[in-house]
Amino acid sequence: MPKLPNHEEANSTALRGDPAEQLAETRRETAWVGSFPSATAPPSQRMKVLMADDNEVTRLLLNAQLTGWGLDVIAAKDGKQAWDLFLEHTPPLVLTDWVMPGIDGLELVRRIRAHASEHYVYVVLLTSKSEKQDLVAAMDAGADDFLVKSCDNQELRVRLREGARILRLEQKLAEKNREIRDAQAALIQSEKLVSLGQLAAGMAHEINNPVAYVANNLAVLNRDVSSVMEILDAYRGQIDQLRLVDPEAADKLIELEQSHDLSWIQENVTPTFVSSLNGLKRVRDIVHDLREFARLDEADSDTVAIGDMVRSTVAVLQHLISEKEIAVTVVDEKNPSIECRPAALNQVLHNILINAIQACGMRDRVEIRVDENDGAVSVDIRDSGSGICDKDLPRIFEPFFTTREVGRGKGLGLSHCYGVIQDHGGTIVVKSKLGIGTTVRIELPKQRRSQATEDCK
Amino acid sequence: MNASTSEPPSILLVDDEPEILHSLKGLLRREFTLHTAETGQQALQILRQVSIQVIMTDQRMPQMTGAQLLGQARAISPDTIRILFTGYADIKAVVDAVNEGQVYRYLTKPWDPDELVEILTSATLEHQRRKQLQAILQTARGLCERMLQSDLVGGVQDEVTKLNDQIQQINEV
Repeated sequence: MPKLPNHEEANSTALRGDPAEQLAETRRETAWVGSFPSATAPPSQRMKVLMADDNEVTRLLLNAQLTGWGLDVIAAKDGKQAWDLFLEHTPPLVLTDWVMPGIDGLELVRRIRAHASEHYVYVVLLTSKSEKQDLVAAMDAGADDFLVKSCDNQELRVRLREGARILRLEQKLAEKNREIRDAQAALIQSEKLVSLGQLAAGMAHEINNPVAYVANNLAVLNRDVSSVMEILDAYRGQIDQLRLVDPEAADKLIELEQSHDLSWIQENVTPTFVSSLNGLKRVRDIVHDLREFARLDEADSDTVAIGDMVRSTVAVLQHLISEKEIAVTVVDEKNPSIECRPAALNQVLHNILINAIQACGMRDRVEIRVDENDGAVSVDIRDSGSGICDKDLPRIFEPFFTTREVGRGKGLGLSHCYGVIQDHGGTIVVKSKLGIGTTVRIELPKQRRSQATEDCK
Repeated sequence: MNASTSEPPSILLVDDEPEILHSLKGLLRREFTLHTAETGQQALQILRQVSIQVIMTDQRMPQMTGAQLLGQARAISPDTIRILFTGYADIKAVVDAVNEGQVYRYLTKPWDPDELVEILTSATLEHQRRKQLQAILQTARGLCERMLQSDLVGGVQDEVTKLNDQIQQINEV
């Protein structure tokens, strides 16, 4: 955005009348106009100004001037209309006459100040009153500036320019505040992650031991039961011999075999053991994935193949993927290794993939593409899900922003991702079309910057 | 080297969890003579009293870790083959133990029963091999002494050939 000329220069342009100077003034004016989004920009991108005056001629004049300076003018013929238009358009800049029938300029200012706007509203009161106490009254009501009619149009211009400058500063301040909130939220999240990692480590160990001996016991039982069956078969082979000596005992044995359905038992003992062992193998794999995912055995900073990381994240989320029968493809012919904090990066991939899966309907697709070029790697996660609407898209990295119903999402996921990727010296960009799908692109340098490595220590 | 004709090889299992020891007994009771201990101290006591071919210990135990136990076991019974088995979180301890030469193999929990039997069997064979090599070296030392004492080099030629055959045979196992 072009910079504003400084005060002195702007003021000096208001005082002379020679043609060459006129031309120079026009240039400067254009330069100044550029400080509002350019005069040639479509109205939607220009700074909006609400202008209220009950005098039609003044209104027309002001409208022409303001439009000429590249502002998007909303004109109101009285205070009532001004208030309605304000609520409808929430312009950042308001230029209003004081004396108007119905709601006057002072009342309008008070209402604007009482109204909780998303951004600051800069109000200039335009009036024929010129006493000092009038100025005090106007400023007390909440006006930012006070201009006596009929002022020089250059004076109006510079006063409005001041307004725009203050609005921009206010906007920057809001941005900085947001950054601070981001950082704070990311900090809270990373502390949570640490304790989660410790929990996972403890669990992996605690689950492992019982799984180990239960699996072993099953193998032992399978073998021992097979032995018992072998012995049993040997006894059964002797049943005819037994019948010769004690027919009643032989019948009792046959009856016992039948009441317990021995043939079923013999057929099913081994399959039952095999099925139980398979189940335990799954538990073992889950523990393994959990451990891979939390990178329990690794140092804070490490060199890791990004494709492997993607695959282990997909494995952890397999249950969600299967639920919706989503076709997930991982393209990682290039599987570059990068220096990173693996646990944090895994969490990022996990969050983004969960978002992609949640955006998907039944049998949608998710494609994850790993690539590398010039010392950087990229991961694109593309889904064919519901997409993000234009209104929400600019806000998705804000902490606590969530579209899920209250209680379902904390709204910290993407802001945390943003923090982690920034910490790695990378970028994260989200493109989305409602109804078409979303692509998240992460780019990371292969080598972490020394600053980040220091932080890590 | 026919193990079935002689006494089954002795194995010492060490784990602070009795369930694990019980389960392992069930798996290994047929192929091996089993001794079990729930602490490192108990295990060292057994090592001093009984000849043990293979010791297998859990890494994570209170008081004495598996790696510490194997370090001391090596001092008491240098020929015993040492195996460490561990949960996931102890990889660093295993790497250290392996690098210090205290460990023949390591296993992760949960283990595969067939694989465990296989590893223990190969460990006992390794033990046997080492023992036999030692015996042969002992004989060779004796021979050398006899050669030094007499000039009858030709008389020991046959015995040297026989020893060479034996070494080859052992290495084929």
